[in-house]
Amino acid sequence: MKTDDLIAALAADASPVRRSAVWTRWALALLLASALSALIMALAWGVRPDIHQAMRTTPFWMKAFYTAALGVAGLLMVERAGRPGVRLGWGVALAAAAFAAILALAAHELMNLPMASWRADMMGSSARVCPWRILAISAPVFLIAMATLRWMAPTRPAVAGAAAGLLAGGLGATVYGLHCQETAAAFTAMWYTFGMALWPLVGAAIGRWALRW
Amino acid sequence: MGAASLNGLVFRFAREDGGIGAVTSSVSGVEARLKALMLRGLDGDSAAQRDLLSALSGYLRAYFARRLGRDASDIEDLVQETLLAVHLKRASYDRAQPFTPWAYGVARYKLLDHYRRIGSRAEAPLEDAGALFAADDSAPREARRDLGRLLDGLPERQRNLVRDVKITGLSIEEASQRSGMSASAVKVSIHRAVQAMARRARDEDR
Repeated sequence: MKTDDLIAALAADASPVRRSAVWTRWALALLLASALSALIMALAWGVRPDIHQAMRTTPFWMKAFYTAALGVAGLLMVERAGRPGVRLGWGVALAAAAFAAILALAAHELMNLPMASWRADMMGSSARVCPWRILAISAPVFLIAMATLRWMAPTRPAVAGAAAGLLAGGLGATVYGLHCQETAAAFTAMWYTFGMALWPLVGAAIGRWALRW
Repeated sequence: MGAASLNGLVFRFAREDGGIGAVTSSVSGVEARLKALMLRGLDGDSAAQRDLLSALSGYLRAYFARRLGRDASDIEDLVQETLLAVHLKRASYDRAQPFTPWAYGVARYKLLDHYRRIGSRAEAPLEDAGALFAADDSAPREARRDLGRLLDGLPERQRNLVRDVKITGLSIEEASQRSGMSASAVKVSIHRAVQAMARRARDEDR
């Protein structure tokens, strides 16, 4: 086929693209992904029984804000990473700020505790399972985010894959926060962060072939 | 695009191209012209989409020839594959951003993908978008791979529709009358055919 013939066929295919096309797609993707994550959480571990009281406490919201901030940062990055020729934008700064904030809170918390109880504070009662549960709960978000990215045009696939992983980890961990009863900032800084970092590592590693277009 | 951001672009090109006045004004002229076509194409204007892809094909040909060597046999294939990507991925273009960096991003990605496929270790340095629009070569070469042949696996109706609109230049309405399908069914068929061409263009060399 001659290039001019191809161009004619493509021009015939030029139907209108709505301005909201990208955000609509992400909104639908995240709606589906959140529902699946919530389903995993509810079926596997259940919402914490004292959720109503917990929602009146600071630690609950500290965890929620930290994980949600990373999820939003991931969403901002993934939307940019799917568009050729633009910078990554504010997502990186937001993620860095959220991480710095939880480290500061954790440091402040530990400074006010005797050194002998640091270990108990950091380990809580679920350190061994927390990261892996976050990994599991985030899996549907990661898969759906990667599929949505492939529909876009990621030109830096490792970065894009990592951003999809951050979005997945942040959203998944926020959902997991409805079950988890840990209250320490040090616990959140260590184990939530570890759990949320897993999909970004996977995404960066497989981006090159998983996000090819 | 506002005057301020256009000036920013001009300034960027001016700085990175060493401040040559002629280059500066021509690249910003290209940006303004192509962006206007892209926006109209996104609103569903076929003629604008055709003008956009025609203009891009000249820049792409010159860019790939510079990177692959003037006589490389796969230049035209790569031009076609990139045009398919520009068309199919156009939703990923943010109307608030300049157009030329987007087009350059797509072209460079396709070049890197090509290098990877042929097992070349050549690198495509990340340049300013001006690298794609520095030269124009509007004389098409012979494509090594025949995308038309890739249509052979499609249902006859879709194949005929694509031939109708590309060779005889029928409009969607005319093609719809001739085939007895509704205009929206014609559109869907053509879109499927285009997607199939893009899929096969990418898969054939794997």
